[in-house]
Amino acid sequence: MKDHSLGASDEDIVRQVLDGNVDVFDSLVKRHRVLVSKIVTRHVPSRDAEETIQDAFVRAYLSLPTFTGKGDFRKWLSSIAVRTCYDYWRKAYRSMEIPMSTMTEKHRHWLEEVLSGQSIESRREAGLKSEAKELLGYALGKLSAEDRMVLEIVYLEGLSVKETANLLGWSTANVKVRSFRSRRKLERLLRGMRRQGKGG
Amino acid sequence: MRFRISENERLKRALQEAYFSRESADTGEDRQFQIMGRVRRAGPLKTSAWFLPAFENLVWRIAPACCLLLLTLTVLFTSMDLDHGYDYPGALAAEMERPTLPELYGLEGWE
Repeated sequence: MKDHSLGASDEDIVRQVLDGNVDVFDSLVKRHRVLVSKIVTRHVPSRDAEETIQDAFVRAYLSLPTFTGKGDFRKWLSSIAVRTCYDYWRKAYRSMEIPMSTMTEKHRHWLEEVLSGQSIESRREAGLKSEAKELLGYALGKLSAEDRMVLEIVYLEGLSVKETANLLGWSTANVKVRSFRSRRKLERLLRGMRRQGKGG
Repeated sequence: MRFRISENERLKRALQEAYFSRESADTGEDRQFQIMGRVRRAGPLKTSAWFLPAFENLVWRIAPACCLLLLTLTVLFTSMDLDHGYDYPGALAAEMERPTLPELYGLEGWE
């Protein structure tokens, strides 16, 4: 497909799309699909990532009339992608489609090793990387969609409260409360796991 | 003070590493075609009513504050001991009818 907008800014392309040239949206997809893929695959399980990436772009297309052109298009698109992931989790929790992973002795072993100070390199050598992913999946699966998103963005990605509020379209107070609450829940989950390990 | 596991930097780094390892930047051409297929099916955008979603968003943002204000005013007015026989709007209008210059400029009591 011929690229009609080579060298044009994102804002110019948006204007062309709004003028009725739907095909030009293809250039925006091409430019930003890596960004959207990265965001979605971090938040959503791989089996549903493909569909969610498509949803994010379609949502962005339908929301183009609300893009004022004053801010950065990438930031605006990132916010749409994050909100699409949040909607994915809300829907998933409603329909109870989340497969619950169970914790085994090897996950507790991993947690104890990390807390006792074994280096990341030696853990990698020991092939315990998958345990970390599973443990993270287990902990996140126990949280609500809201707590999950906030924990991922603030605690794991390290974004500020203000940035998170902008991404999710929430108030900063709401993000602060959710962030505190989700950290406390994570704390409880990890403590519970350790207790189980010591008790069993 | 109780030691917090979630504040353990080593654990945080390990979980962050696991979290970012899920990230994938798959840039398949197929995906592009599928996205554009759905976009074309949605058709050209209607831009005439672009302000409606923004207005709706604004209304929902201020709705809780408005409800709270309305509730507070209702409670305030019902708890106030107002004299129903007294013509408050009339008294207010009469008060504002002929303001003197010192009143207008807030110079009362400067003589």
